[in-house]
Amino acid sequence: MIPSIGHAAVLIGLGLTVYAAVAYVLAARDGDPRLNVSARRAVIGSFVAAAIGCAAMIVSLLTHDFSVRYVAENNATTTPPFIGVISLWAALEGSILFWALLATGWASLLLHRYRDRYRPLMPWVGATLATVNAFFFAVMTWPGNPFALTAPMAAEGNGPNALLQNHPFMALHPPLLYLGYTGLAVPFAFGIAALVTRRLDEEWLRVVRRWTLIPWTFLTLGIVAGAWWSYEVLGWGGYWAWDPVENAALLPWLTATAFIHSAMVAERRGGLRIWTSAMVIATFVLTLVGTFLTRSGVVASVHSFTQSAIGPWFLAAILLALGGSLTLLVWRLPDLAGGDRPSGTVSRESAFLLNNVLFLGLTFAVLFGTLLPLLVAATSGDTISVGAPWFNTVTVPIFIALLFLMGIGPALPWGTASWSTARERFTVPLGLGVAVTASALAIGLREPTSLGTLGLATVVGSIMVEEIVRGARARARSRNEGPATATWRLATRNRRRYGGYAVHLSVLVMAVAVAVSSGLATDRTVTLAPGETATIGGYEITHDRLVVEPLSSDARVIETRAEVTYAGPQSGSLGTALRDYPNSQAAIATPAVRTSLAEDLYVTLLASDQATGTVTLHLFVNPLVVWIWIGGAMVGIGAGFAIWPERRGRRVTVERPQRAPAAVTIEGA
Amino acid sequence: MRHLRWLLVPLVVIPLGWLLVSGFGRDPREIRSPLAGRTAPEWTLTSLDGETLSSGDLAGRPYVVNFWASWCIPACVDEHPVLSDAHRQLGEEVTIVGMLYNDRPADAEAFLTRYGDAGYSHLIDPDGRLAIEFGVTGPPETFFVDADGIVRDKQFGPLTPTLMAERLATILPSAAR
Repeated sequence: MIPSIGHAAVLIGLGLTVYAAVAYVLAARDGDPRLNVSARRAVIGSFVAAAIGCAAMIVSLLTHDFSVRYVAENNATTTPPFIGVISLWAALEGSILFWALLATGWASLLLHRYRDRYRPLMPWVGATLATVNAFFFAVMTWPGNPFALTAPMAAEGNGPNALLQNHPFMALHPPLLYLGYTGLAVPFAFGIAALVTRRLDEEWLRVVRRWTLIPWTFLTLGIVAGAWWSYEVLGWGGYWAWDPVENAALLPWLTATAFIHSAMVAERRGGLRIWTSAMVIATFVLTLVGTFLTRSGVVASVHSFTQSAIGPWFLAAILLALGGSLTLLVWRLPDLAGGDRPSGTVSRESAFLLNNVLFLGLTFAVLFGTLLPLLVAATSGDTISVGAPWFNTVTVPIFIALLFLMGIGPALPWGTASWSTARERFTVPLGLGVAVTASALAIGLREPTSLGTLGLATVVGSIMVEEIVRGARARARSRNEGPATATWRLATRNRRRYGGYAVHLSVLVMAVAVAVSSGLATDRTVTLAPGETATIGGYEITHDRLVVEPLSSDARVIETRAEVTYAGPQSGSLGTALRDYPNSQAAIATPAVRTSLAEDLYVTLLASDQATGTVTLHLFVNPLVVWIWIGGAMVGIGAGFAIWPERRGRRVTVERPQRAPAAVTIEGA
Repeated sequence: MRHLRWLLVPLVVIPLGWLLVSGFGRDPREIRSPLAGRTAPEWTLTSLDGETLSSGDLAGRPYVVNFWASWCIPACVDEHPVLSDAHRQLGEEVTIVGMLYNDRPADAEAFLTRYGDAGYSHLIDPDGRLAIEFGVTGPPETFFVDADGIVRDKQFGPLTPTLMAERLATILPSAAR
């Protein structure tokens, strides 16, 4: 019964989205407002249908309805409710259902909010979004039916993927990532609408700026949460392995970031318009390519759980989206040409242009590395894999160049910069950078890229801080405000600019953390009998005992755990285990991570001998890793600050309540 | 000249399409078995019924070694009838041997009770040593050994009737129908 409701909801969703797409196109041609309203209602209806579908799936998972193949493959009678609910996105079909929920959610929110605005654009925006959503409903109707039944019905399910039930982060990482992926269809839809209607001025860019930043923020948080999950769960001591699935998330992030920057030039100065439109298209197509690569089984990845029949569908969608939007772009090239060229060699425009070239270079490098195994297999039939060293060699210099640009770009004026202002602004930061690099060398950092990044981050950070301080000082002087008030007011009145600064500073924090943690990390593998001690980076690690027992939450899972005490900068005891899940061939590691602001102690069990109680442990001391996660959260906060609507007109400021609880100052803007 | 810009569309779409299409029908995790063309590893193992069977017993006959596990759902369930049918129809010409991959004998017996036991032997591979010698990366994986004890073919992933016939043809003197 419940699965039938879910399946019916999917079919209704398909009908509604197809109708909405057609009705929007007709509305755009005839300008009939009733068609517009009815199409919008159909989009909102498709959201309700997707919600019913998701609810039906969750109920099936919670009631262990093994007549549904998806439930039989991802659930067992012993699966706890929390894992049951998040299994909605544990495998392919459920993920697409969840994806449809988010995609129709974005579309409904956008079309409802702008129902009376941007008249000529909105029908085409609606038509594009409805078409994209119809594709996902079609995939669920034909090749990837989440409610497909099993015959004969299984008595017991296979249980959730062992890796996915091992950490609560599984509840967070996919939703954030999918919110980003699905949301990036919105700027694409606006781009298509602008190209179709030839309204290629700044209007669509102004609307789309916020609607790109929001999914971009989710995508960023999703990527960072994924890195964190990989660090806490996979047990290899690292957080980024250039796995195709990581690249799949990174690729649209790179082009979306390029778009956010080039859109500023297009909006403010009318330049880079072809480029900006191309980036919007690339971003959307790359979200499809990423999904295709990781879900179709074409490229080997830790994530490509199963080969599936959706591959050809995604392929067709990619080629249609790419071919269609490129044709449209080429058709409108004469309308897009023109606009200002960057006037000076050293100016903010040229910094933006260089920024975009670098981001595009990164995109090509990552895409090439990800597709190379496919290319080689297609041409010579050999199986190869492209590893982290290749990606690091190719991308690190570009990342460093971007870091450099991030510092000087915002400090350069629009138009033309004179060399003397540049010298004036950059002398002190350069000196600081040299000083910090020298001190890092003195404390033992030897890795050249880490050293370079650290020095550069100092230069860039101090340029940014100088920039903020200079503005605040000027305001403090002219308005007679305290430095903190002046900075806050300046920031809240220029949210885009200061939100951008905050994001840049957060990226710097992450860059330094990545550079230092990869350059100064130490690790060693030790074999210890009970009572023996090993040392690593100031820590003494003592192996107390080996315990083998079933997990209290699920007796089918056997845990082999080393109980260890550690003393040093942090001290205490920890347990690190290998878990044998009945449905997994390899034992799943559960590394123990002890985090401090300065460094992480990371212990993972590699092997054990039950007869003697001897264990082999891999010990890591990873400095500053926690700052990658903190930096990631800061990016989210900074972007949120930039997205927050700027109030216009009268402004109400509540002063510190403890000093004057009732004092409310009202000032004109 | 102005029309040249239209070339951009096919120049981008066609190579990308070709590359992605070429990815189908190939499993990136499938590694060509280095065993192909070489002598199969030798073994002497105990079956679920408690009988001892060795590769020497099969000398002079083609045989199929199928690594499977009761926890390998749905792939091992899907291919189970294919192996059972092959045993029923071609049991005279070829021996089929099930090899438990990292599985508990009790679970394996429950699987056979549930999905049907065609009667061919299922052997217990303690420690998974034989699986390592064959280079199994994950079940189901099936090796096709000819009458001279040479590995001729390997199936990575579940067998379908078509694949089974194709693979068997490499080891049967009178090619399977």
